[in-house]
Amino acid sequence: MQLDTSARPSIAGPNASGLGTSIKAGSGKSFDRKNRLLFYNRFFKLACIASAVFVCLILFGILFLMFRTGVLTFRDVSPMTFFFSTDWSPEKDRYGAFVFIFGTFALTLLTLLISVPLSVIIAVFLAEVAPTWLRNLLRPVLDLLVGIPSVVYGFLGLTILIPLLRDITGTNMGDGILAAAIVLTIMVLPTISRVSDDAISAVPRKYRDASYALGATRFQTIFKVTIPAARSGILYGVILGMARAIGETMAVVMVIGNTPQLADALFKPTSVLTSNIVMQIANVPFDSTWNNALYMMGFLLLVISLLMIVLVRLLQRKGAHS
Amino acid sequence: MKWFKSLSVAALAIALVSTSVSAVGAASSLKGKIVINGSSALLPLTLQAANEFKKLHPKVKISASAAGSITGPQSVRKGIADIGAVDWDASQDVPGFKKFEGQVAHKVAIIPFAAVVNKNVKVEDLTTKQLQDIFSGKVTNWKDVGGDDADIIVVNRAFGSGTRVNFQMKALQGTEFISKGNNYKEVKSSGDMKTAVETTPNSIGYMDLVYVTSNMKALKINKVAPTEANVVNGTYKVWGYGYYMTKGEPDGATKEFIEYIQSAKFQNGSLKKLKFIPISAIK
Repeated sequence: MQLDTSARPSIAGPNASGLGTSIKAGSGKSFDRKNRLLFYNRFFKLACIASAVFVCLILFGILFLMFRTGVLTFRDVSPMTFFFSTDWSPEKDRYGAFVFIFGTFALTLLTLLISVPLSVIIAVFLAEVAPTWLRNLLRPVLDLLVGIPSVVYGFLGLTILIPLLRDITGTNMGDGILAAAIVLTIMVLPTISRVSDDAISAVPRKYRDASYALGATRFQTIFKVTIPAARSGILYGVILGMARAIGETMAVVMVIGNTPQLADALFKPTSVLTSNIVMQIANVPFDSTWNNALYMMGFLLLVISLLMIVLVRLLQRKGAHS
Repeated sequence: MKWFKSLSVAALAIALVSTSVSAVGAASSLKGKIVINGSSALLPLTLQAANEFKKLHPKVKISASAAGSITGPQSVRKGIADIGAVDWDASQDVPGFKKFEGQVAHKVAIIPFAAVVNKNVKVEDLTTKQLQDIFSGKVTNWKDVGGDDADIIVVNRAFGSGTRVNFQMKALQGTEFISKGNNYKEVKSSGDMKTAVETTPNSIGYMDLVYVTSNMKALKINKVAPTEANVVNGTYKVWGYGYYMTKGEPDGATKEFIEYIQSAKFQNGSLKKLKFIPISAIK
């Protein structure tokens, strides 16, 4: 096969077959280089599309499956009872999931209350204050923290944090929403602070220069200029952390006490959606209302995290515009 | 090289014939596939028995897994499993669970249970009445049962646990558990129960006797210490049978397997080594 590359200067624009400009003519055999490349190209394209479709199928498959089983709950339990009753005693056919829904939101909120200020301060320190050598040391350390399995956090919470809380506060057990929030805080801290760190580092230098030129102190610059400028990036980190906190199971189940009662105090054994599902799913009869109710709770969790991801996408778009 | 080729072919043929002959000669002709699901407490026993059984009958395939007691009889009902391992007799009604119609229960082991407390608790001995009062929430302070002035922390297994069903039937004689309170929590597994009781002062819980460690204290119940000897001589009452459930009377490989696990050889050998008590020990 002869290829005449010198006589053919590059042709503008991609050609229709998706091949380079160098191969225009085949040698006429049925499976020559041109046909082969065309075949590879087409095959690869198909493989890519198939993978993408596969991912979508899985997502919708999960959503559909959870919903299909979960919605059966409402054959036996009215939505009012399921969403607003606090009485969860499945062995007596009472399925009020409000305790868990409330617990999930209360836990997430408490986690964010503790973790967001801490993370932002860490991020400010990393991006603005720390000397370069310390920064280069701390960033990989935070990245490593993200990778620690949650069951390790849970175990440390159970064996170290809870006895500590008991000693400090003088409560009997130490289990409850505060213990869980502290464990979750340690878990989401690296996520939020690393994302915020990147956002703060990305604030243009001229903003700071302008602020200093106006006579602002470093403190004023950081809190009045840098952080507001990095706001959407920080928010992105917060939502990522929040999504992790809401879905976290193993760490929470070990320190929260797992008792279906409303979390109206910091030290009261309670339960959230994730912990209740994992506690009970192995022991429920198939095809029972109880089983369906647990699926419904899983579906709720799924919807909450999907909403958060949508929120993250919106924020990213907004960040890109500004 | 021709001689080498023919020689190797001949050797291969001889090897093939001899292995197949020896396999047939050594083992029975029993064939089949046994699927076992259910209780995690009984899984070590099932796995050990399956290994030994497969050596005797190489053509029988056994796959055993565990996902919690109640999944055993459920899998049998759905036809997913041939044997459902469960910590209570699922052919009878027990607190919280209806009986499974048409299933036959086969006793395979005796599992003793113990009420345990944290090491800081001074109480050594509780009566059945005191246990009932504590676990139903009527007595909430250790001083009412002869201990220090401190709140009792009740640690319970989640509903559906086989250990919970047995403890409720045998130690509490059916009394309902409390389900709420500031000093009450539930844990997911025997391992979590162990950690919770070991690390929580003034706590009380219960578990299989084999899980009891030196970092906690097993209580005497009605003045009888929870030991294997006391289970066997009939003075310690808090124990239950482990069961294999089958759909109707078993046949073929499943029947052989259950007979093997009930045989004196297995019961007095491997089963004892795994710290279960042979079913023949109690008449």
